[in-house]
Amino acid sequence: MLQALPILAGGALGSYVLYRNEVPAYLAALPTLGALALAVLFVVFLPPLLWRRWRYEIRLLEVDLQRGLLRVTRTLVPMARVQHVDTRQGPLQRRFGLSTVVFYTAAGPNEIPQLASGTAAEVRDRIAELTREADEL
Amino acid sequence: MHPVGMLLSAMTTVRRWAGLAAFPGIAALVNGEFGMRTLLLVGLAFLVLALLSAVWGVLSWRATTYRISGGAFHLKRGVLQKSERSLPLEHVQSVNTVQGIVQRVFGVVELRLEAAGGAGEPEVSLSALSRPAARGLREELTRSRKNLDEAGEVGEEPSPTVLRKLSTGELLVAGLTSGQIGVAVSVVAGGSQILDNILPAGLAERLSETLLPRTLFAALLLVLFVALFAWLLAIFGTVLAHAGFTLSRSADGKYLHIKRGLLNRYETTVPIARIQAVRLVEGALRQPLGLAALRVESAGFGTEEGVSTVLFPLLRRSEAEDFLSAAAPLFAAPLSSLAPLPARARGRYAFRSSIPALVVAVPLAVFLFPWGLLALLLVPPAALYGLLRHRAAGYALNKDRVVLRTRRLARTTVVAPRERLQSRGYSVSPIQKRRDLATLEIEVASGRGGTAFRLVDLASGAARGIVDALSTRAGRPEEGEKRPA
Repeated sequence: MLQALPILAGGALGSYVLYRNEVPAYLAALPTLGALALAVLFVVFLPPLLWRRWRYEIRLLEVDLQRGLLRVTRTLVPMARVQHVDTRQGPLQRRFGLSTVVFYTAAGPNEIPQLASGTAAEVRDRIAELTREADEL
Repeated sequence: MHPVGMLLSAMTTVRRWAGLAAFPGIAALVNGEFGMRTLLLVGLAFLVLALLSAVWGVLSWRATTYRISGGAFHLKRGVLQKSERSLPLEHVQSVNTVQGIVQRVFGVVELRLEAAGGAGEPEVSLSALSRPAARGLREELTRSRKNLDEAGEVGEEPSPTVLRKLSTGELLVAGLTSGQIGVAVSVVAGGSQILDNILPAGLAERLSETLLPRTLFAALLLVLFVALFAWLLAIFGTVLAHAGFTLSRSADGKYLHIKRGLLNRYETTVPIARIQAVRLVEGALRQPLGLAALRVESAGFGTEEGVSTVLFPLLRRSEAEDFLSAAAPLFAAPLSSLAPLPARARGRYAFRSSIPALVVAVPLAVFLFPWGLLALLLVPPAALYGLLRHRAAGYALNKDRVVLRTRRLARTTVVAPRERLQSRGYSVSPIQKRRDLATLEIEVASGRGGTAFRLVDLASGAARGIVDALSTRAGRPEEGEKRPA
């Protein structure tokens, strides 16, 4: 949702510049309208689609992540490489009872965003437990 | 510590304060119009500063002591504010020595202990130790560390076996073919700009007047001259950094020791178990000669993300596999027979490389119509570069090791074993989907963070195959160190 703000700002600025350069008002309004359309796309239509495309699977030895609407990305992280797991919750997420699971390997963090808080806690504990088992293996 | 430590400590103090003192000092000089009195005053101030630093140096030298006891390294220091730091020996990742010019003059070395996850500064740095003291400390460290590993079995540390030494001839070839010319050119260009500002304006004018009739020729000559100078700089830089490069392996086969440097001598220890990936880099000038450099990515060792260390600066491409099986057998994959990218990816490589050229050329062609079309001449070379990148790219899977080859300017081949991968995956964009292609991405730990290696546009089936083949299977030893090499 926050991505939409710069787009709107850009559109408004474009309109303003055009208006100052004495372009007819209906033409000058175009950037704003375009930005508005983009913003609606980003805020209303895109998130549910992206959300529907997000998949995660926690297997015995690996975490399997798949996401992306147009460019589909799949990432596999071996349990034995996971160093620690967090859940994170921003103020907005708290309002809606959501959390993000973040698990770290030596190469950096991986996220599973916006799970219901209860599920997130389960996922976190499960990964932590499996990581321990994988280490003992 | 060796008494030279006093001098070194005093010098750092002077350096620190000189920066602070220089400005008021210069200001005073200018204000006093360089009169005798101000000159004296400033000189006096400098003398006092030097004296104080010397005293400080002596004091801090006396205050610095170290000892090894109870499985930890203890460092005591501080003149006014005393501090004592203990570093558990099992956390010591590497013991390195560096020898600066001053240290060389006095025959002492700086010893650095780096711990896991060390960021920036080394955890412990002893600026002046005599050679025997450093060697003694080193041996003591290895011995105590070994005691921790396996109780008993204390003995004389057998000396490491030298794997390879860079000869003077090879050093020169390395300098001649080092791809750092680009960097050097920019340095020279920056320098000439400064020179431009410094040179008296009249001189520049006169020069350009005499040169004007032959400007094109002069410009060409200048470019040639700059390139030559940059080349010399690159050679010089390589010689400075890599003279006497020696790679040896410790007797227990757990560590690699690197010694190098002409003026500053560096001795670095790389724990083999911490090497994450090996890169064979064939610079544009080296590839036609069949030459390459070897680099390693190691974890918890570098100072920033994605640091790689030169394992050996110059060797024949054909020797690389044998060299690796001697130095780090886990990474000794055959580097020659890689599977090429599918032909249907060729167009995409050519197009992607031409995008920057098109972005420049198309507006020029449109807005400066007849002459702007000349800019389109940029596009074919860019596309050709893309084709070359396509031809260079390749991949292989060899006994749980991924081998990926890509080209920027230099052709780089990465070897990463399954047990060192932090994550692996592939992505498919809509256009790739239509052509049944995918981008393979693997991540290894490096320094404090990670490094990702990507191979664009291999057949999507192959990408999936590699990702699946590298999956962790139950009932296998997980850590690479425990596997028989």
